[in-house]
Amino acid sequence: MRVLRRLGPTVLAPVLAVVVAVVISALVMAALRVDPLRVFAVMVDFGDTPTQQMTAVVVVLNRAVPLFLAGLAVAVAFRMGLFNIGVEGQYRLATVMAAAVGAAVALPGPLHVLLIVVVAMAVAAIWAGIVAVLKVTRGVSEVISSIMLNFIALGIASFLLTGPFRGSPEGASIISTAEIPRSGWMPGLNGVFGLLGLADPPRQLYGFLLVAIVVGVGIAVLLGRTRFGFDLRATGLSPSAAQASGVDSRGMVVKTMLLSGAVAGLIGMPDLLGATHAYTTDFTSGLGFLGIAVALLGRNSPVGIALAALLFAFLDRALVPLQIAQYPASVITIIQGTIVLAVVVSNEVARRIALRSAERGGAAPAVAAATGDGSTGPGQTADGAAVGTGAGVGRTAGAGQQTTTDARQETGA
Amino acid sequence: MPPGPRATAGEPQADPGSGAAPLAVELRGITKRFPGVVANRDIELRVRRGEVHAVVGENGAGKSTLMKTLYGEHRPDEGQIMLDGREVTFRSPADAIAAGIGMVHQHFMLADNLTVLENVVLGSEPTRGGRLDHAEGRRRIAELSDRYALGLRSDVLVEDLGVGDRQRVEIAKVLYRDARTLILDEPTAVLVPQEVDELFGNLAELKREGLTVIFISHKLDEVRKVADSITVIRRGTTVGTADPRTTSTRQLAEMMVGAQLPSPQTRTSTVRPTPVVELRGVTVTDADGRALVDAVDLTVHEGEVVGIAGVEGNGQAELVDAVMGLRPTTSGAVLLGGEDVTAWSTRARREAGVGFIPEDRHRQGMLLDAPLWENRILGHQTRPPAVKGPFIDRRGARADTARIMRDYDVRAPGPDTLAVALSGGNQQKLIVGREMSARPRLLLAAHPTRGVDVGAQGSIWRLLEDARAEGMGILLVSADLDELIGLSDTLHVMLRGRLVATLDPATVTPEELGGYMTGARTTAGAA
Repeated sequence: MRVLRRLGPTVLAPVLAVVVAVVISALVMAALRVDPLRVFAVMVDFGDTPTQQMTAVVVVLNRAVPLFLAGLAVAVAFRMGLFNIGVEGQYRLATVMAAAVGAAVALPGPLHVLLIVVVAMAVAAIWAGIVAVLKVTRGVSEVISSIMLNFIALGIASFLLTGPFRGSPEGASIISTAEIPRSGWMPGLNGVFGLLGLADPPRQLYGFLLVAIVVGVGIAVLLGRTRFGFDLRATGLSPSAAQASGVDSRGMVVKTMLLSGAVAGLIGMPDLLGATHAYTTDFTSGLGFLGIAVALLGRNSPVGIALAALLFAFLDRALVPLQIAQYPASVITIIQGTIVLAVVVSNEVARRIALRSAERGGAAPAVAAATGDGSTGPGQTADGAAVGTGAGVGRTAGAGQQTTTDARQETGA
Repeated sequence: MPPGPRATAGEPQADPGSGAAPLAVELRGITKRFPGVVANRDIELRVRRGEVHAVVGENGAGKSTLMKTLYGEHRPDEGQIMLDGREVTFRSPADAIAAGIGMVHQHFMLADNLTVLENVVLGSEPTRGGRLDHAEGRRRIAELSDRYALGLRSDVLVEDLGVGDRQRVEIAKVLYRDARTLILDEPTAVLVPQEVDELFGNLAELKREGLTVIFISHKLDEVRKVADSITVIRRGTTVGTADPRTTSTRQLAEMMVGAQLPSPQTRTSTVRPTPVVELRGVTVTDADGRALVDAVDLTVHEGEVVGIAGVEGNGQAELVDAVMGLRPTTSGAVLLGGEDVTAWSTRARREAGVGFIPEDRHRQGMLLDAPLWENRILGHQTRPPAVKGPFIDRRGARADTARIMRDYDVRAPGPDTLAVALSGGNQQKLIVGREMSARPRLLLAAHPTRGVDVGAQGSIWRLLEDARAEGMGILLVSADLDELIGLSDTLHVMLRGRLVATLDPATVTPEELGGYMTGARTTAGAA
């Protein structure tokens, strides 16, 4: 019961958001004279043969891995109350640098891959670190600086790609870096299909899936179980209280942004190590922005982000089949967009419900105590019940805003 | 505005429906339930027109719930609200305002960066051609200010005003909306004695003009001074009404809590010679180089409570921040047990044995959206029982939270309850328990009993006394003069960043102390 109550709002909000998004998208489609039911049918149709179906599953998983990492990168900063909008620039710059370094060296297999990954993480972390340094030394809002740095990062990335790192011949339609040698490729996981007795699809399931899972677990442990994670979350919940508790807020900003950036550096790795083996002009873009949506939908928890990433990947997969079936592919964009909007609204609704139920949770057992040993003293326990209510009432009326106003007033006075 | 019908003050309870002088406000059998709890039960409140009617009760007794009912913030489950003898139903505060009810909140709802004029008219601006009509607003505010002796200056920024002035702006806001009945929620909580007297003067003006004031408080002396009649609420229901002229404070207190009123008293000195903390010429300046704390010298010994009295905003908060390491000192040194800790981080100071009860527990003391056990860890992230190496010890933190809840009488369902669900008193007891559990050498207690009920106040006082007896040094900043006088071994007065007087708490009276706090008295001897 308690688990249900605690999970209730957490699960409810995203599910509600998805349902609302589907309904809205259906209405939009209907308005555009597209039959929503048939569109949804195409979206869930994974093919007829087992091989086709498994291919679809692999496509979804392969897309989900970078989305998951992007969501994590955003969420790490989010949990501290920082908006890292710069994930896009961070991973693009990191990937082009890692691709160039990877192509320039020849090392034994695992080391080669490790080097590429470390370079990517380092580059993205440094790029995110700029945001942190600007914030703690100059008070620049991380939202502004990370957005601006996106443009610079993308500019630098295309300069590097077309200039120093160019590996493709002159006049090629797609410019790319030199290809990473085989030792720097990450093998696929298709072996598991055989082990599970499933059809082995022609497409490779990214080996980076395992890395992503490890990173996800690592982040979950770091945030939930360590002192560092506690400091980080405390700062996110109340910077002033965290500071009074001894958290060095500036240091936390730097550390958190470095961590967020390092995770962002991994976003390009599944594609780079598992499929393209080079950074190209048509390398997957937009993952950093989708990551914000994924983190929102997943409510910043690693498990939630994994589910959200799978959903977004599932939607992404439908792009091609929809086009084949002569339906507008923008349907997917509409659904993703409405999910984001709906999630923002429903998160707020869920937060209020959670707050309210917490207050009730606070008040109700006090009443039980009052009835239980009402004979012990003159009104002591009953007072407890009334005390609980006082708080409950106060909160319900104003929700979150009340607290912030109060805090402001008290600092002002 | 014609003056409303008035009943002579001191007249025995007017019968409901007697017709001659309908009551300004009458609540009949108000019951308000929240899931699992009854916040108000069969509340009866009769307020005559033109009187100051006090509603007293402990924190959490249901005063706020009742006033929210009257102000239309929620609807009662049972009972009737009658205004001037007519039953009314409020769907929102807007309805209540339209019916002539105004609320002055305890925490001011003012925009600091707007002028008095802009704050007062906000939401019901006089306009001319779609633009704010400053002249009309200024005229109406001047009129209000004259009529009720509020002394408002329309064009001053609210951020430049003192607490008393801000409160008058709040009152003007309500009057501007033609309120005939004012609800004042704990209006004296933030005021010093002199400002309280000024407020009472304003209330007398309001009364003279035929307005009705409902005055929420738990400060019984003040209530007796200002109120024409008193309704006492305990455990969500009215336990009776009292005439302030024939009822003693003690009788009122007994009605209110149903028990003896605690008083802070530490008379036998436990001061030991070893200093715990020494401040040497500590100066804190703001961004413009103005000294907020000005060359403060101060020593707290083991087993000593050093009280800092002062009108809020005279540098006490900055002094506390400087000792906690939350704000850099411009010059001077902070010595903890003889060691210079001026350059130490807050965490290092905490680890070296500094406990902290912040003045604003929501801002600095708690993570409201986190469970109690996580709040147990806050401020103690580097020490057992909450952590093991780099990891959080969830089990240990939960167990220790349960212990604190038991030992310090924190009333909550369990360690997993969110802190926001607790009443102010219980939150404060959790903070006190948490800080005490680390056995600090020095405890910085800023307004440790602010906004907590009498019961919790008494137990917090006892905890501080016990800790003092065991040799803890306590730096106590408070606005509660009785608390300062009762608990302190040494009492300093802070005015404009300086310690201007050192007084003997055994002989000083609250009035004298108030004089020093406002600068009316000085140590030179001018009384």
